[in-house]
Amino acid sequence: MTQALRYDRVTYRFPDASARALVDVDVAIEHGAFALAIGPTGAGKSTLLRAANGLVPHFSGGSFSGHVYADGRDTRTHAPRDLADAVAFVPQDAAASFVVDRVEDELAYGMENLGVDPRHMRRRVEEVLDLLDLAHLRDRSVRRISGGERQRVAIAAALAAGPRILVLDEPTSQLDPQGAEHVMAAFQRLVHDHGVTVLLAEHRLERVAGWVDLALGVDAGRVVVGAPADVIRALAAGPPVARLGRLVGWEPVPLTVRDARARARTQATPTVAARNSHPVAVGEPLLTARDVTVRYGDVDVLRAVDLDVRQGEVVAAMGRNGAGKTTLLRTLAGLRPIARGAVTTLAGTAPRPGVDVALCPQEAERVLFRDTVTDEVGATLRARAASDAAAPWLERLGIVDLAARHPRDVSAGQRLLVATAAIAATGAPVILLDEPTRGLDPECKDRLVRFLRSHAAAGGGAVVATHDVELAAAVATRTVMLAGGEVIADGEPASVLGDSHVFAPQMTRVFGAGWLTPEQVAEALA
Amino acid sequence: MSGAVGSMRAGVAAHPRPVRTRGAVRTVVLVVMNVAGLAAFLWPFALPALTGDGRADGPIVLVVLVGSLGALLFLELGRGGLGAKTVALLGVLGAAVVALRLPGFVAGFSALFIPVLVGGNAFGPSFGFLLGAIGMFASGLFVGGLGPWLPFQMVAVGWVGAGAGLLPRGPSTSWRVRIGALAAYGFVAGYAYGGVMNLWSWPFVASGSAIGWDASGAAGDNLRRYASYYAATSFVWDTFRAIGNAALVVVLGRPLLGALDRAARRMHLELDAEPFERNGGERRASERTGA
Amino acid sequence: MNVTLSPHAGPVTAPAAGTRMRTWHPAAWIVWSSLAGLCAFVTTDPVYLLLLWAVAWFVYTAHRVSEPTAASFRMFLIAGVVTLVLRTTLVVFGTIDLSSTVYAALEGLRLATILVIFGTFNAVTDPFGVVRLAPRRFHEPALAAALALSIAPRVVSAVHRVREAQRLRGIRVAPLRSLPALAVPVLETGMEEALTLAESMDARGHGRGRRSRYRPHPWTGATVSVVVAASGAFGVFLSASVAGWAELHPPTAPLGWPEVHPVLVAAVALLALPGLLGPDGAGVPRAVVPRSGTPRSARGAAAEDGR
Repeated sequence: MTQALRYDRVTYRFPDASARALVDVDVAIEHGAFALAIGPTGAGKSTLLRAANGLVPHFSGGSFSGHVYADGRDTRTHAPRDLADAVAFVPQDAAASFVVDRVEDELAYGMENLGVDPRHMRRRVEEVLDLLDLAHLRDRSVRRISGGERQRVAIAAALAAGPRILVLDEPTSQLDPQGAEHVMAAFQRLVHDHGVTVLLAEHRLERVAGWVDLALGVDAGRVVVGAPADVIRALAAGPPVARLGRLVGWEPVPLTVRDARARARTQATPTVAARNSHPVAVGEPLLTARDVTVRYGDVDVLRAVDLDVRQGEVVAAMGRNGAGKTTLLRTLAGLRPIARGAVTTLAGTAPRPGVDVALCPQEAERVLFRDTVTDEVGATLRARAASDAAAPWLERLGIVDLAARHPRDVSAGQRLLVATAAIAATGAPVILLDEPTRGLDPECKDRLVRFLRSHAAAGGGAVVATHDVELAAAVATRTVMLAGGEVIADGEPASVLGDSHVFAPQMTRVFGAGWLTPEQVAEALA
Repeated sequence: MSGAVGSMRAGVAAHPRPVRTRGAVRTVVLVVMNVAGLAAFLWPFALPALTGDGRADGPIVLVVLVGSLGALLFLELGRGGLGAKTVALLGVLGAAVVALRLPGFVAGFSALFIPVLVGGNAFGPSFGFLLGAIGMFASGLFVGGLGPWLPFQMVAVGWVGAGAGLLPRGPSTSWRVRIGALAAYGFVAGYAYGGVMNLWSWPFVASGSAIGWDASGAAGDNLRRYASYYAATSFVWDTFRAIGNAALVVVLGRPLLGALDRAARRMHLELDAEPFERNGGERRASERTGA
Repeated sequence: MNVTLSPHAGPVTAPAAGTRMRTWHPAAWIVWSSLAGLCAFVTTDPVYLLLLWAVAWFVYTAHRVSEPTAASFRMFLIAGVVTLVLRTTLVVFGTIDLSSTVYAALEGLRLATILVIFGTFNAVTDPFGVVRLAPRRFHEPALAAALALSIAPRVVSAVHRVREAQRLRGIRVAPLRSLPALAVPVLETGMEEALTLAESMDARGHGRGRRSRYRPHPWTGATVSVVVAASGAFGVFLSASVAGWAELHPPTAPLGWPEVHPVLVAAVALLALPGLLGPDGAGVPRAVVPRSGTPRSARGAAAEDGR
């Protein structure tokens, strides 16, 4: 019997690139495997995934040697379209992958291309609508549903054609923790009940490491295969529990909260006295929101919100998709008309966008328009007639090495850093970041966290809206929980996140309320 | 022509890659179709000399004309085998045409020619025609502006795009030449589009007046009448369009063309380079089954 | 003047999707509006033309889908009136007397009537339904048009987002010189999305040459009867125009009263059938033709209109 996917000594170089994106990859994935590709940004995960159905090199060009067999078919002689019945591919940007406007028709598009019998098509569409809980959206436009719903529609559209192999690039990046769990459960059902092979790439290992049974570690184009625990150990990557395991020398490194809990029972529980969250020197309130209500039509999207952003604070605004996080940021930035209440600055005036407050919107990379990273930051500096150079800003974000690159040619995580630099260069004391998680690998995430901390330490303030629990745990000095446009909790991250079933970070789940990051726990255990 | 198309389609079905019609045949067919299309616009100057008939024929003529332009579109759009990349690019740039045609969107005047001009110049005359035609069709649907004028709009804007693709382009052309030529062309196209689009309705809209079509007049006389009609109704309007086109090309041409050229490279649009290296094993014919 | 002949109406929101099953087969509307437009085209008799206005309004009120399409109909109505006025004022380029003014006004009324009929067409059809009518040969251009329709609202919102984000950076996109700060990000993002889209299409089998169709629009008794009625109405007008058994153009030199022939009035009344049947085609049995395929006659009609 053939394997689901076989990479036979594959080496690949993008056109005009000097380094090889894949180096002598020799990997086989059996039918029915649930596999995860991990590794830093730019290591070649996306390339590896795209080679599965021939998008690399049929779409990308470049130079390709070796063979990839998908369900026994060679991608040299089969273009992606010829493999459409065997391999389904879901790209990272689900919204851009939609071909037809209506959800139900989008699910049928692939089957129409395959010439599937209309009656059979109808049945398949109904099945995947149910599998991914989309039946209520069937008549909606794919452009008018939420980001999480879009991601589910893209997955359903890939599944509908009945492929034996499902390849997904960061399928949970737009989902809140519950949504991610729902999708992972659906994949597991496909693997277990239908023998489908699933291969996915994901940065947030805490969401996926516990589900998969095979890992492909990708580093500088080389790929190692093995049990998830071994690969994660080899790559020195992993969810927070794995990071903790490495910090304190646990063998084997735990991958799930359950593993870590079992291991922690044999260990002395860290004492409460040792809890040592970042000491915060909080100063004056840079922004003050009082009783702020914002309406969209007849609906209150924010209701009677009170919030301070003080010097030295990094506030994490959390909540489900649609809880009002984005509206909160836009209101703080002075972009939304306020129905009741007021937002004021230290000087008692309304915040001026780009002067008192800088907002890095979702998909921030969309502001980039110059030919180099330096020039991009320079455009901001010139616009406010500032005399300082771009270089210090690049340094603050840790992107000096990208200075001469085209901002559109760097990785998604690096782009976010570039955009943040371009927006922070306004010099505004308060920086707002909306969902800075798409394509953000641990390395870039660390740089972002360091930047926000130093910005706060220098007397600035920041608000980060995110559903990434571990990012909040790592960076926040205060956490605000939103639901239905209301602030339902506001306080120390330890208490707010520790209280939550859904938004508790892994350390809290293992050691109880108060523990947020592996570093903090390791320090206490030492 | 239908034979050529038919065999091409059969080729698509038998082999996953579209087989291209021979360049020369295609060029001849294109020229013939576009001359036929031009005739559909220019008939008011020729017809009176041919028939010398009067008013009642107008409606029938229009029906025939819409039909012949439709045939041009039918053949141009129905060639098939565009492939996913071209369709996706047409969709995205067509969306820009739609967005720019919305009333009051971006500046006071209509900027919808910009994507057609740069798209045609970046990707060639054939793409330019398709972009213009499909962009006008989609925008007509979007703003609820479908009517008998649609085929004329599709062909006229399609020509604008095709013309942009015939200008100097490619890596050997300097930016100065490329932008200069495109700006000048955009200026001329601003008037030409207006002149052509007024032409099709002129015989019906203005008949009976001194600047209207004279069904029994000589070609020269009708040309004079049309010139006055155009000057009276459309000239000022078209001047805004011509200046707008040229200004936008000067300001935006280089960055936009740069972005499109980069996209073309990233999408690996020229497939002449074979990405597969032979050292990994020879292609085997037996592997081609199962498609 | 092209501005009056191609009304640029419409909201920035996407055309409503999801109305496909509730509206009639778009081909029926194409046939109805083309034939009603042709009826108007062969006559300058104000009685028939005004009756056609009434028919268009009646059908529109019975079938309009939602507010955006109502705006589109209003634009056509306004464009119609403007055309009528402009056409009449063209008289100033010739001898101004009552006879030529009435002649010009009747010509204008004819054009305005055609505009109003197409206003109804645009108001009652689902744009995606129209695109889906494309025969297999036009699958790719039609798909590109559908994509353009579907992506356009994204372009508009991208422009707003980028403009706002640049403002937050202190870059104002008002002067022409800084337009690249707005246009380049929108286009670059669009090109990246085009690549994702092309990959997604190819990975899902685009261009394999074999296609089936998911849930094609059903032909109902109501839609078929409308096609028949509209054909009958145009047949009557055409035969009057060709055979001359009734006068379709009232005398303008010298002026005379327009003639009203009861058969032609009845023909106009036939065109009101869609308004009488209503959106549900009340009382007429559904699904005369199986939904697995569009009947040949309808496809022919659609292709004919595209010509």
